[in-house]
Amino acid sequence: MEKKKSRTLISDFLSNTGLSRRSFIKTTAITGAAVTLGSGMMPKMKALAQAAAPSSNGMGKWMPATCQGCTSWCSVQVYIIDGRAVKVRGNPHSKVNLGASCPRAHLGLQQIYDPDRLKVPMKRTNPKKGRNEDPKFVPISWDEALDTIADKIMDLRKNDETHKYMLMRGRYSYMRDILYDRMTKIIGSPNNISHSSLCAEAEKFGPYYTEGFWGYRQYDVTNANYILLWGADPLSANRQVSYYSKVWGDAVDRATIAIVEPRLSATATKADEWMPIKPGYDGALAVAIAHVLLTKGLWYKPFVGDFVDGQNHFILGQTVDEESFEEIHTHGIVKWWNSELKDKTPEWAAKLTGLDVDQIERVATDYGNAAPHAISWVGGGPVMQVRGGYSSMATHALNGLVGAVDNKGGTQQTNKEYTSKFPKPDDFLDDIAKNGKKHGKIDHRGRLHFPCLNSGKSGGGVITNNAAEGILNEDPNEIKVAIAYMNNFSFSAPQSERWERALSKIPFLVHMTTNASEFSWFSDIILPDTHHMFEKWGYVKAHANGYRHVTLMQPIVKQTYDYKTDETEIPWLIAEKLAKRGFDNLLSHFKEYKDPETGKAPENEKEFALYSLKHATQNLWDPAKYKGGDKIKGWEEFIKIGVWNSDPYPIRKKWSNMKTKTKKFEFYSETLKEALGKHAEKHGVTIDEVMKATNYLARGEMAFVPHFEEPFILGDEKEYPFVHVDHKSRLNREGRSANCTWYYDFKDIDPGDEAWDDVAKINPIDAKPLGIKSGDPIKLSSVTGSLSCTAKLWEGVRPGTIAKCFGQGHWAYGQLASKEFGKTPRGGSSNDIIPAQYEALSGASAYYGLTRLKIEKI
Amino acid sequence: MSRYAMVIDLQRCVGCSSCSISCRTENNVSEGIYWSHKRTETVGTFPNVRFHYLPTLCNHCENAPCVRGCPTNAMHKLDNGITMHDSKKCIGCRYCMINCPYGVIHFNWKDPHSFWRGKEAVLKGGTSSPVEENRAVGGKIMPYYNPEREETFSGIRPKGVVEKCTFCDHRVKKGKLPRCVESCPADARIFGDLDDPKSDVNKLIGKFRPFRLKESLGTKPKVFYIRDFSSASYPKTKGGI
Repeated sequence: MEKKKSRTLISDFLSNTGLSRRSFIKTTAITGAAVTLGSGMMPKMKALAQAAAPSSNGMGKWMPATCQGCTSWCSVQVYIIDGRAVKVRGNPHSKVNLGASCPRAHLGLQQIYDPDRLKVPMKRTNPKKGRNEDPKFVPISWDEALDTIADKIMDLRKNDETHKYMLMRGRYSYMRDILYDRMTKIIGSPNNISHSSLCAEAEKFGPYYTEGFWGYRQYDVTNANYILLWGADPLSANRQVSYYSKVWGDAVDRATIAIVEPRLSATATKADEWMPIKPGYDGALAVAIAHVLLTKGLWYKPFVGDFVDGQNHFILGQTVDEESFEEIHTHGIVKWWNSELKDKTPEWAAKLTGLDVDQIERVATDYGNAAPHAISWVGGGPVMQVRGGYSSMATHALNGLVGAVDNKGGTQQTNKEYTSKFPKPDDFLDDIAKNGKKHGKIDHRGRLHFPCLNSGKSGGGVITNNAAEGILNEDPNEIKVAIAYMNNFSFSAPQSERWERALSKIPFLVHMTTNASEFSWFSDIILPDTHHMFEKWGYVKAHANGYRHVTLMQPIVKQTYDYKTDETEIPWLIAEKLAKRGFDNLLSHFKEYKDPETGKAPENEKEFALYSLKHATQNLWDPAKYKGGDKIKGWEEFIKIGVWNSDPYPIRKKWSNMKTKTKKFEFYSETLKEALGKHAEKHGVTIDEVMKATNYLARGEMAFVPHFEEPFILGDEKEYPFVHVDHKSRLNREGRSANCTWYYDFKDIDPGDEAWDDVAKINPIDAKPLGIKSGDPIKLSSVTGSLSCTAKLWEGVRPGTIAKCFGQGHWAYGQLASKEFGKTPRGGSSNDIIPAQYEALSGASAYYGLTRLKIEKI
Repeated sequence: MSRYAMVIDLQRCVGCSSCSISCRTENNVSEGIYWSHKRTETVGTFPNVRFHYLPTLCNHCENAPCVRGCPTNAMHKLDNGITMHDSKKCIGCRYCMINCPYGVIHFNWKDPHSFWRGKEAVLKGGTSSPVEENRAVGGKIMPYYNPEREETFSGIRPKGVVEKCTFCDHRVKKGKLPRCVESCPADARIFGDLDDPKSDVNKLIGKFRPFRLKESLGTKPKVFYIRDFSSASYPKTKGGI
């Protein structure tokens, strides 16, 4: 495909250059000549021309589906003609995305009908594994594939080494527990590793250790008077892009919108204030805003409380007596002021952040004046950093100061939904399984330097990217058999090259995938997976607009090849094979997933997939089990609508009833103090030693309050002068859009990017001294790797930083995604320059404000 | 008789191109051709900089220079104001393109949907070539082909002819909104009849001072724009010397 570049600017369109009215009249006079000129170009029409008699109502039918192009998880509808998917739109029945669909849902059509999808199982015939080893895959039957897998699992069981089995999870539905949890447990392994910490765990850290909520917030933007976004780009990526796109025009009318982000993002294009901060300094800006709110008396008194004498004693540099302030729904405001905020002036922050002091002052003041309808929206950028845990707390804590927590026009948690869990596996765990499960996990969660404090528990969360180290170092043990689905760690995880080595080391690796990806390259068996949007039974939950929906995935198209579903059908088929080999615990367990309507146990993989979904969602569609939300008359109606909506969000129910230790919104986190204390105790060390082990600078009481920490950025400034800014595309279907032509044809809708290219955006001030021009091929290098792409000089990026979009740089995945399949990437993969580092308190992989870069022309 | 028009509310527009991508699926538009498109512009110098987005499509001009320049009447006006094209009459002279001041008419320089004409598979025996995939799915050229487009127009326009937006005349005829209007997640496109004084387009044209592209050329476009893509506020100032 050639590059398509449109260089006409908007200004040319508004002014009247070029043709005048008079010149049109002239052209009409030369029609005779045109006939002569054009006659040599008679088109061939033939078969393409006409067919199909007009029909009044259209030839197809809109069927409900779910888009998992990102984690917004919008409910959509697909137009089906003769079993073929033709068009996509938002599902009008959803109260979450309200019939809206962002652009990425349409790309689903190019995914389901991607010619590079696997159509049959294949096995590797080249025993050597490596990036430069062609696997020499050959087609095999489903039967042979499943037999081989079952044999390998039985070998582990015979030798009492089931802990050497591993399950890796990528994109999932809530049918996940069948494969991820139940099957792993019944085989007998502790090693089910999800991709979650590649996603956003640090973003949940701040909300959890202030308001006791480990999850994504919903933001009531249509009732907000101020929206302050931290690296979040809701018009472009994750989460609820469709919903926020639908209402943003109204939000703009009502609210002032400020966005903190070193790159002019899609959301920044429509913001009142763009704050192009130096990467890594978000925490400094957040505490300076808090300082202004307190010194100017702008905190929301009905939520936070006030000084007993009614005077404001928050005065620059002065400590305050804790007894002098009476808090209402919060805890530790004075401790926070005394330990962190009292000196953190806008002038101090301006120096660190590179922002204008007047702008900081103005944003802080306007934000405070908008209380309590003033949102502080924590995105991934400021927090998925090595020292991002406390930025997560600091940015989220602003919601507490202005009373926006759990409030109208503020930040809200999730609504209740009533799906049920699958049957418990406990009765099916034999001694082999029980012993196997006792072993330590391959990702090292919970070790001293990896607290992973998901919901307060040491080792409660995953540290996905570190599993590569576990596999490579056989720590705590080797992995002999691994199954993975819809993941691509050797592309999607920072410093991906580690995964190439780790996966090469696993003697038997199975990959369930739609496309032969960079992960498949190292696999022994690859299995053709169904596409979530059109071909599988499943459900997911999402929330926005004050509602939560449960939206269904269904097989709604004529399946072109014999794909099978990762989370239900394939585990069933493996269970059948295991049963034939004398181990029937898994199959017996699966037979407990009965059809709620008939009470019948499943007899094959198709029935299992359907019954397990009906079981999980019964409370939503069975009137006899009704608990709340939409009233649905039965299963048939449910699959026709495709979505269930909750009751509206009840605001202010959590004030003084939060799931923190004090039940209050904690500016001094007793909850974190307890979690860190337990982790330290487990390892027989002090909390200060935990801080040191996790690369944090805080000592003593500072570990329990939101505060600024100097960012941890790798690379010597002289050799690597620029800080890397990674970001997402509004067309990224996670990392899987790169084999779609529309991705490239529309890539320039990401501000600064170009169609049919992969560009690094550089400020002209930085590029000119280096002699770099737009269009130059360049190499970007960090301390751990490099990538090749094209230079783009652009004013929308902060000088001293280089912004590059994630999504391209595949060397496998398909004929379009790679320049040469299996060999040469198209564009550059961000994860080749991002080092494997962590925000260790949450387990999140660090992506931002992490590495310095150098540029070379090539 | 109706006189169809579209209002695009730039404040609601989020610049996502759902209009253009969904247009591809409705009208079987090939890569590199944009019935629905946009102009973008980055204005200013860091840190005072913004990116602007202006959605574009055929303006269905009342005084359409493309129609007047067409030697074969392939480009013509319908009674409802839509500027329509007939691929069978098109001789590929491209006079319409030269005459159109908006650059919204595209020429098929090569066989459309070139990706789907590919004959290579990446994994022998395990994946398909684009041609095989389309055949297996049962589409036409490409697997997600929409046959409804054929009701009033060529389903896919061949090499050697021009093509452009038809305001989804085949949908409008059945009382459905153009696809870009239906699919806009931001509800930024409003479609209706200028001859109906109660239509939403007339309400909005009356409420705002709409602008049209290159208005003084006298083409009388039927696509009206209201409000601003960036409606940012700013601190009050009288400037200074």
